[in-house]
Amino acid sequence: MLDKKLIIGVYDDGDNLLHSVEKLRKRGVEILDCFTPYPIHNLDKALGIKRSNLTVGAFLCGFTGFCLGLLLQFYTMTSHLHTFKSWPMIIGGKPQNYMMIPSMVPVTFECTILFTAFGIGILFFIRAKMIHGKIPDILDPRQTDDRMLLVVTPDQLGEVSRSEFDSIITSAGAIEIREHNPEHSNDNQH
Amino acid sequence: MYEAAIRKPLVTGDKSISDVSNDICRPIENKPTKMWWLGFTISFICLTIFVISIGWTVWEGIGTWGVNKTVMWGWDITNFVFWVGIGHAGTLISAILLLFRQKWRMSINRSAEAMTIFAVICAAMFPLFHMGRVWLGYWPLPLPNAYGSLWVNFNSPLLWDVFAISTYFSVSLLFWYLGLIPDIATVRDRATSKMRKFWYGFFSMGWNGSARNWHRYEIVALILAGVSTPLVLSVHTIVSMDFATSVEPGWHTTIFPPYFVAGAIFSGFGMVLTLLVIARSVLNLQDYITIGHLEAMTKVVMLTGSMVGLAYLTEFFIAAYSGVEYEQYAFLNRAFGPYSWAYWTMMSCNLFAPQVFWFKWARTTPWFIFIMSIIVNIGMWFERFVIIVTSLHRDYLTSSWAMYSATIVEVAIFVGTMGLFFTCFFLFSKFLPVINMAEVKSIIKSRE
Repeated sequence: MLDKKLIIGVYDDGDNLLHSVEKLRKRGVEILDCFTPYPIHNLDKALGIKRSNLTVGAFLCGFTGFCLGLLLQFYTMTSHLHTFKSWPMIIGGKPQNYMMIPSMVPVTFECTILFTAFGIGILFFIRAKMIHGKIPDILDPRQTDDRMLLVVTPDQLGEVSRSEFDSIITSAGAIEIREHNPEHSNDNQH
Repeated sequence: MYEAAIRKPLVTGDKSISDVSNDICRPIENKPTKMWWLGFTISFICLTIFVISIGWTVWEGIGTWGVNKTVMWGWDITNFVFWVGIGHAGTLISAILLLFRQKWRMSINRSAEAMTIFAVICAAMFPLFHMGRVWLGYWPLPLPNAYGSLWVNFNSPLLWDVFAISTYFSVSLLFWYLGLIPDIATVRDRATSKMRKFWYGFFSMGWNGSARNWHRYEIVALILAGVSTPLVLSVHTIVSMDFATSVEPGWHTTIFPPYFVAGAIFSGFGMVLTLLVIARSVLNLQDYITIGHLEAMTKVVMLTGSMVGLAYLTEFFIAAYSGVEYEQYAFLNRAFGPYSWAYWTMMSCNLFAPQVFWFKWARTTPWFIFIMSIIVNIGMWFERFVIIVTSLHRDYLTSSWAMYSATIVEVAIFVGTMGLFFTCFFLFSKFLPVINMAEVKSIIKSRE
């Protein structure tokens, strides 16, 4: 992202950012992204972000955990898979076959939860391209603190002229408009 | 912006977004206060006691404890259940209250989750060292081994417990860490020293707060809350099965799972109150952890206290109604036998004392809440002691009846786990934001 020319609207209130996004989208401006220190309710809908498929991933991970949990117990505790080598574990005369399914419930349940949670965690980090030690692409050090940024590239403005864009976001409450140019190390301030 | 006409603001003091960051990052960015050093030193001394007493146990063996052939579970398993119970409030607050959209959770979930993790670490120490040979502590894991098909026994509730506790610990840790990432990024971007920039940068995983990531993040948080909710209920259910699936009079009851879960929430909230009443004044967080938060938690304490009280009475009734003389004796022995002092301590701390929270004054006076939270902690420790020791010391065979009292080593280990818990908590309050800044920023009322 930092290698593109960018126009950045800076806000100090999430509601103002949300209104700007709604106004700009009505005028046909596609917005590259917004950066906020806290989740702003409905901003994803206003930006037109498609609902993530992470829920499907969570289900598949959970289902894998469920199957592996059951398989582990069938493999180690019953004779159905013909996996006993020498010592079947008969403890308290308890059954060694499908009759022990009720006592498989807790471990199967825990495996399902474990796989769902870690599966979704890992999928999230992959989708968000996050990893330990990654250098963040930060446009303003206050974007994780008390400032919200609205970011567009010049060609995303479409039919809206640059001065019109400025007046739309200023009237919606932007406190500052900047440009980011990868060729210059410092951002230009307006 | 979250505003409700009929409710008081969740954060007081007209905080702006930057005030939230400044207030919550202050302990991280400044040198620790004298109060912090005092608390940390005391905790660290207790942690040293833990290391010494555990070292002595490993060196000498379990003979250093007071447990015997009849009462084979004493303070160790009492403390284990006590700490696991305390570990329930964190995930309950962050998961169940998230699903119920209870926004008051946002100021307290971070520290409650941290408490969960530290409490589960303390809990795990007891069964691990009670096994005697701690270096074989990996044996409960289902690992292929050199003995043919000699696997762990999946019919045993003790093994279910291994799975439940380890899943609970790792999922809680993930949930906690995921919640921390945006806040770690805030600390990273405010950092002035290279060291801080590096470490917080490393653990923030490149978080930049983009709207797409927030969208995914919220979905993940919701799914984790969804799976953590049955998980948190399952953990103490399975802990209770350690007892309930045996044929010991006093343990063999079907009421145990719901009764243990209610007890766990009760004791967990007790400990959260103990910590937060102190933390809010030491770290100057009265505007974030308001009297309203304390009041809401005391209501949960009263409700769950009444639930465990009801369970105590139901147990008694069922013992009488069952007509089983062993069961009847077990309960009469609890109330009027040699350990009756423990039983009545439990009853007064858990059933009677929390009823004081019917009065608004009691729910809104921090020093009083603090005393009550200590009483709840004591009561819940005694509940586990009563269940374990009074049931075991007199069962079917009168010739094997015995008494049990803890040795100095057992007491030292328990005090030591307190040290471990509070040392971790003090380090947490120094190096990580104790309040979820990102979430609190979304609910502050005034931004002007």
